[in-house]
Amino acid sequence: MNGAPDLTLFSMFMSGLLLLIPLFLVWYFKMGLFNSLLISTFRMAIQLFMIGFFLEYLFKYNHFIINVLWFTLMITVAVFSVIKNSNLNIKHFFLPVFVSFALANFFVVLYFNTFIVQLDYIFEAKYIIAIGGMLLGNSLRANVVGLGDFYKSIHKEENLYFYKLALGANKFEALLPFAKKSFVAAINPTLASMATMGIVSLPGMMTGQILGGSVPLVAIKYQIAIMIAILASTVLSIGISIVLTVKYSFEKSGVMKKNIVK
Amino acid sequence: MCLIEFQHVTKKFSEQFVLNNFSFKINEGDKVQISGRSGLGKTTLFRLLLGFEKADSGNILFNNNNLEDKSFWEFRKSVVYISQDLNIGYGKVRNFFTETLFLKSNLHIKSKALAMLDNYLDFFEIPVSFLDKNIEELSGGEKQRIAIINALLLERKIFLLDEISSSLDNSLKIKTIDFFLTKPDFTVLYISHDKYLPKGFDIRTIKFDVL
Repeated sequence: MNGAPDLTLFSMFMSGLLLLIPLFLVWYFKMGLFNSLLISTFRMAIQLFMIGFFLEYLFKYNHFIINVLWFTLMITVAVFSVIKNSNLNIKHFFLPVFVSFALANFFVVLYFNTFIVQLDYIFEAKYIIAIGGMLLGNSLRANVVGLGDFYKSIHKEENLYFYKLALGANKFEALLPFAKKSFVAAINPTLASMATMGIVSLPGMMTGQILGGSVPLVAIKYQIAIMIAILASTVLSIGISIVLTVKYSFEKSGVMKKNIVK
Repeated sequence: MCLIEFQHVTKKFSEQFVLNNFSFKINEGDKVQISGRSGLGKTTLFRLLLGFEKADSGNILFNNNNLEDKSFWEFRKSVVYISQDLNIGYGKVRNFFTETLFLKSNLHIKSKALAMLDNYLDFFEIPVSFLDKNIEELSGGEKQRIAIINALLLERKIFLLDEISSSLDNSLKIKTIDFFLTKPDFTVLYISHDKYLPKGFDIRTIKFDVL
C-alpha cells in the first residue's frame, strides 16, 4: 500500500490561501463572522497538529493500556457532549451514559477487530482509535437525538404518560411507546445516509482509503462493514442509555424527577 | 366502609395554596361532585391521589393504608382515571383498547372485557366502524367517549372523572352522568360544572370557592 503523498509547506500555504475566499465574503457582506472564522480555523489547525503528534507516538508505542485509556478519554468527551447538547442534567446522566457508551463501543470495535478485520492484536491503536472514533461519533449524534427526545417527550406529553400509569401500566409499559419513538428518531439519519451512500457522497472512510492507496473494491467492503458496525453500536448505545438512565430519572411513584430536563 | 380519606392535606404551587389543611372522607359507593372556580385545585386532588403530585403535608389513605411511593402503583390498578386532557394516544381505536387490555395488570380481564366492548360502543353511541379509525381523526366528544369506554372495560369500581362530559351533547351528557351516578357499587369522584343531577340519588359535594 503506497500512502497519499505528504503535503509540503507550499501545499499547506496554498490551502491557507483558499481561506481568503470565505474570509473576503464574510468581511465584504459584514456577516460578523470574520473573527470566529479565523479563530475556528486556527483552533482546528492547532488541535489537529497536536493530535497528529500525539497519534504518531500512540501508534509507535501501540501499548494496550495507553490505547484503552485514550479510547476511554474519547468516550468521556463524547458523553459530556451528548449530555450538554441534549439539555439533560449531567449529574444524573454522566455515569449511565458513560457505561452505555463504553459497553456498546468497546464491544463493537473489538468485535470488528477480532472477527471482521481479524487482527492478530485486537487492541491495535490504529483500529481502536480510527474505527472506535467513527462508532463513537455516530453514537454521540444518535444519543443527542434519541436520549434528548425521550426525556423531552415524556416531559411534554406528561399527561399521556400519566394516563398509561392510571390504566395500570408498569413503568416499563408506560415508557415503551416513548422509547420506541426516540429509537426511530435516533437511527433514522443513519438509515437515510446508508440508503444514499455512494451516490450522494463517498463516505469519509472510503475517500481516505482510496487516497491511501486501497483499491475501491477493498474500500467498499470496509465501508459496508463499518456502516453495519455503526448501526450496531448506535442501536446498542441508545438502548442501554435509555435503560440505564431511566433508573435514575424517576421517583418511586413513577413520576419523572423535576430536574431531569433543563 | 371508608375507602379514601384526605387527612389535613396541604398543597402549594409557588406560594399559592391549592389545598389548605383539606380533610375529607369518601365511603364505598359515594358519589362526590367536585366543583367550583376553575384553577388548579380540583384536578390537583386527583393528581395527589394518583401520586402524580406530592402533598406538602398531610396524608391520603386508601383502604386505611397511607398512599405513598409503592402503594400508588396498587391504587392505580384499583381506580379508573379519566382526564380532561384528550391526548389519549395515537393510532387505531381498536389498538388503543387492546393496548390497555394487554397491560400486565389487566390481562386477566382481557377476554371478558373484549366481549363487553360492543355493548359499551352501542351504549355510548360509537359506531363499530370507528374501531378502524385513527384516534387523531376523532372529535373531542368522540375521544371523550372512547376514553370512557376504555375505562369501563377495566371493570374497576372507583372512578376519578375529570370533566368527562364537557364535549358531549346534552342527551349524551345526561346519559353519561346517569350511567356513573346511579350505580350503587360505583364510587365516583367527579369534577364537573354541570347543574344536572339524577333525581333521587345522594350526591355529596366538595366546593373549591373558599380557597
